[in-house]
Amino acid sequence: MLTKGVPDFREGQVSFDEDGHLERGNTPTVMNPDDEHALRAALQTVVRHGGSVRVLSMGPPGYKTVLREAMETVYADDLTLVSDRAFAAADTWATAITLATAIEYLGRPDLVVAGFKTADGETGHTGPQTCWCLGLPLVTHVRSLAVDAETGRLRAERLVEGDVAEAETVGCELPAFLVTDPEFEPRYRTAGERLRHKDHRAAARERAESYEDHLTVLDHEQLNLDPDYVGLDGSPTIVESVDPIPRAPAEREATDVDPGDPEAMGALFDELRPHGATTAAEAGD
Amino acid sequence: MPDVDPADHDITELGPLLNDVEDADELRAILDAERTGRDRDPVVTLIQSRIDAVSGTDDGDPGEIDPAEHSPAELGNLVRDTEEPERLEALLVAEETGENRSSAKTVIENRLETVRGGDREDSEVASPEQRHPELDHPTADKRHVRALEGGVYRDMWVYCETQQGGLLGVSEELLGKARELMDGYNERYGADERVVAVLIGDGVGDLAGECVALGADVVVYQEDERLARFRHTPYTEVFCDMARGAGHPHGRADGEAAWRDYDEPRYTLFPATNNGRDLSALVQAELDSGLASDCSDLYIENADVSNPAKTGEPGTTRSFERVLQMKRPDFSGFEYSTILCLDTPSREFHPQGASVIPGSFAAPTPDPAREGLIVEHDTPLATDWLAMEVAGVERLDRGVDLSGHDVVVAMGRGIGSDPTGGIELGLELVDAFEDAALGLSRGVITAAYEFDGHVAGYVAEERQIGESGQVVEPELYVACGISGAVQHKVGMDDSETIVAINTDPEADVREFSDYFVEGDLFEVVPALVDSLEHGELRLGEAVAADGGEQR
Repeated sequence: MLTKGVPDFREGQVSFDEDGHLERGNTPTVMNPDDEHALRAALQTVVRHGGSVRVLSMGPPGYKTVLREAMETVYADDLTLVSDRAFAAADTWATAITLATAIEYLGRPDLVVAGFKTADGETGHTGPQTCWCLGLPLVTHVRSLAVDAETGRLRAERLVEGDVAEAETVGCELPAFLVTDPEFEPRYRTAGERLRHKDHRAAARERAESYEDHLTVLDHEQLNLDPDYVGLDGSPTIVESVDPIPRAPAEREATDVDPGDPEAMGALFDELRPHGATTAAEAGD
Repeated sequence: MPDVDPADHDITELGPLLNDVEDADELRAILDAERTGRDRDPVVTLIQSRIDAVSGTDDGDPGEIDPAEHSPAELGNLVRDTEEPERLEALLVAEETGENRSSAKTVIENRLETVRGGDREDSEVASPEQRHPELDHPTADKRHVRALEGGVYRDMWVYCETQQGGLLGVSEELLGKARELMDGYNERYGADERVVAVLIGDGVGDLAGECVALGADVVVYQEDERLARFRHTPYTEVFCDMARGAGHPHGRADGEAAWRDYDEPRYTLFPATNNGRDLSALVQAELDSGLASDCSDLYIENADVSNPAKTGEPGTTRSFERVLQMKRPDFSGFEYSTILCLDTPSREFHPQGASVIPGSFAAPTPDPAREGLIVEHDTPLATDWLAMEVAGVERLDRGVDLSGHDVVVAMGRGIGSDPTGGIELGLELVDAFEDAALGLSRGVITAAYEFDGHVAGYVAEERQIGESGQVVEPELYVACGISGAVQHKVGMDDSETIVAINTDPEADVREFSDYFVEGDLFEVVPALVDSLEHGELRLGEAVAADGGEQR
């Protein structure tokens, strides 16, 4: 299960400097909201079929608290933080190479799960690109998931956008890579599942008290990653400039209309009349 | 005196003249004439290379290569083993005075730069083993990187996503934008690069003509019933196989494409739909390059960059030409970023890729008279690419398209005192227009109002206007009880005429309205409905209770 720490974009939490740029230092870091859906998919699979969940993230040492949050949410068994100055300022491709290498280092699981996109970068690329490095079957935009433990196959419903929206049911063998859609809904159908869910939660809350005992931190040397290929140096893209979205400037000179003033309302009605159901035909002549 | 007096000609004329001279002695006489006359270095080199050519030494020695006989991609292969800058210079002169193809010159110049820079690198830059003794070599990352060195990059490739046998609207928009960008590019850089449309699917060849009419110069398509539904692996593999030219180190050994003479596209564009965005990420990963997602604007410009990752040295500036500048809303809509995908001194990050938000650009008017080249492609589909089984597809009923109407009536939180009544009024106003649609502000959707059953179906995200909803630009936009947050504004401010009805004279919406009616929508809207129905202004005669019939 992959996650990332992001600035807390909820109202009142975000801090901007005078130029309108985001002040990361003054904005709290939280687990990426979209990843909760991925966590739920991982959790549902473990509750139904057993196994363990490892949460993997890349970021500065301060992201440990994000992993703690993830442990409590997904009831994770182990946490891994890939952290090294050499990994800093990576774009999605450099991040994907790093995460894929970390997953190979830790041993490939039956299922890798990621959220759709991060609240800060918002690309939606890191999950698919990590999967491409691993060469696993990829299912994205998943809104429901079922694993058949006997056959080792998964079946998922995924959303397709276009001029019309579609839900597509796909199937593949494990191991596989899933990217959840924000519409993902976990399903617990039996009393037994719900009970196990509760047990997992109790155990995880206890684990989270001493989460650092379950945390591994990996650097570029352990992962045998050349600093030229990760972090900023390994990134194809750079952010050339960041501009605040301007506050709506006065682009139009509004004509004030008093609804009780027949003259003003008449001028307004002249604008509307050509589009009226009963008046369009005559106006079109 | 030889037949050709070099002093009478400039170098561009001399090239073709010399090519007609087969006699080495004659050429030596011309060379002497030049040396005793104007003694221009490039001309001397040119004549010498012609002497070498007619004297007939070993094949494969670039000093004797006639570049005109080779495609730029072939030239790339030929010069890869050449270490002497003099020979490369001669080749460059021969190309300049002959065919003068910009892509061929780029290949030679790149090699020249490598050869010249090589001495410097060897002495100053340590090997990866020396720089990172803590690592095993080769490092883990190399498994994931399929890079290209000294590549030739040309053209703008556009992935044209299809659905139910037709192009998506956004695919049409992309073709129009690509046409505009490359027309500007060709003029600016004196180039002749093309818009290449890519179609992958079942029966997609039928859409090739439409792509040409919408602006493509070339359409490359692969159709196969096994590609009827988008699947990540085969679509990525087919796209990359199309994108890699003959002789590409990571391409198919038997891959060929007679219609193009470069290694990879210069630019790639994709729709920012679920599948298009996924494909963009995978294609760019496989081609070892980068991209920006969900762009809302694109342009091509030169860029001076001081980012040390790109210059190779802190405190310096490096100039990049022909850079695709990719603008996108970032940070959950709080900021706009401009993303660049740039080579580093040691790695080539091409193609420069982008995915584009549907509706960002206008769809072009098709020109049925446009001509283009249509190429069928045939990547052999490996069985394991097709392991993902598509068991079923269900169409979801959630598509409300608010664009394409003359009028949009949008309701905001001003309906709060009577949410059901507010939506009813909005619908009445919609009906009073010839061709209108009902939209909503984000606020109405997040407010958790309780609606009566008959209007509840209208209150859904599919009707939301703004940054995270739909973008509309009708002739007339009527904003009822909408305060005018900037996120709403970006969804409607290209409307021709904007009428706002709001009780708060300080509301932001006033700043981008043509008419601002300071009043309660529950009073103003019925008056407008009544007036429209009767074709004349009727104030205070609206009768909410009995449906507005004349008393």
